[in-house]
Amino acid sequence: MTVAVVLLGYAAVLAVCGPRLLGAPAWMEHAPRLGIVAWQAASVSFLASLVLGGLALSVPTVQVSANLAEVLRACVLALRSQYATPGGAAAGAVGATLALGVFVRCAYSVAATMASAVVARCRHRSTLRLVGRPGPASGVIVLDHPAPAAYCVPGLRRIAGGHVVLTSAAVGALDGPQLRAVLAHERAHLRAHHDLVTAAAAGLAAAFPRLRLFQAARAHILRLIELAADDAAARSEHRLTVAEALLAVASGPRPAGSLGAGGSADADRVRRLIAGRRPLGRASAALSGLAVALILAGPLLIFAGPAMSTLNTACC
Amino acid sequence: MPRFGDLEAAIMDRVWAAGVPVRVRDVVEDLQRERPIAFTTVQTVMENLFRKGWLRRAKEGRIHRYWPAASREEYSAGLVEEALQAAPDRAAVLARLVARMPRGELDALRTALEEAKEREGLS
Ligand SMILES: [Zn+2]
Repeated sequence: MTVAVVLLGYAAVLAVCGPRLLGAPAWMEHAPRLGIVAWQAASVSFLASLVLGGLALSVPTVQVSANLAEVLRACVLALRSQYATPGGAAAGAVGATLALGVFVRCAYSVAATMASAVVARCRHRSTLRLVGRPGPASGVIVLDHPAPAAYCVPGLRRIAGGHVVLTSAAVGALDGPQLRAVLAHERAHLRAHHDLVTAAAAGLAAAFPRLRLFQAARAHILRLIELAADDAAARSEHRLTVAEALLAVASGPRPAGSLGAGGSADADRVRRLIAGRRPLGRASAALSGLAVALILAGPLLIFAGPAMSTLNTACC
Repeated sequence: MPRFGDLEAAIMDRVWAAGVPVRVRDVVEDLQRERPIAFTTVQTVMENLFRKGWLRRAKEGRIHRYWPAASREEYSAGLVEEALQAAPDRAAVLARLVARMPRGELDALRTALEEAKEREGLS
């Protein structure tokens, strides 16, 4: 019972404090990939706390002995005694419902998000195959279009299946190094499987639309994958060339029916490239990494801790 | 032997380039300038493209004349709009590179960029 309370308390703390703790730290601007992992860790940890907390409510703890039959008998007795009292039975039912409900809802939502993306991608690809022209590099497709734009279509298998799409206007507006910068940015998305990263975050956000933690995780992860891809581009070309390429695309004519200007986050990206932030030092990277690992390990330690420290109890 | 999909793309290429309704024979002759290809292969693929809605056709005497259902530019515009409008994590494409920005913001960023290039001896 104590374990369950601590776990559910930990989930509540993450849900309340997580968005505030992870929403502001400056180190994420310097280490966007670590930032993505931090948000993922907070999300997974929250889920694990809820599910394990539910399990701990519904399953009593018993003494472990060398005799298997003894353990089984003890399990049955413990279960019987918990579910014999109305309070114990109610707690068990609530716990089981919580664990199963949360898990199924999240798994279903993430799977549905990924499946719908795959279906849309197949449709998009089949049109692209007939309409696009081969681009200036392998894996690049050019579309005849008056507005400069670039995007990538992830493949089903690794980077070999993914494509970068450029509009003819983008090819016209960018010089050689700028074009290489844009390709490096898009290929970084493909290589890091950002499609799966964002689909998982979107799936969780859709499963619990009222939960601030998941909504914030989705928004921040969307922002951080762009920073990570910009950094990859800045490793391949000069960072000011990357900034120049972004500005060239951002200042092109607006395609018909596209969403209005809402690029303040993108303006921050350009400012960040111009300022040339240093990557995170080794010490602060290690510290941030440790913090992330602790967030992640929290619920597991709480759940397994008592069992491991006494070594003679286990869940049945 | 080219893959089937490549042949579809090559045929659509010729039909768009022609600008007028074409016979299967016209496309075959056009394609044969680059590679040997059988009439029946092209005919089958063009019938497939008709069934999938990419081509329209009308019978003239005993033969069909084919023309594209929409221009290449219209299809391209559809794809680009889908890419730019969709929520970046629930759609076919991953994310647009960068959103359009207001004029004033662009000018300020361009000035800052030029200053940085000068500082670092790049311009
Ligand atoms: Zn991007």
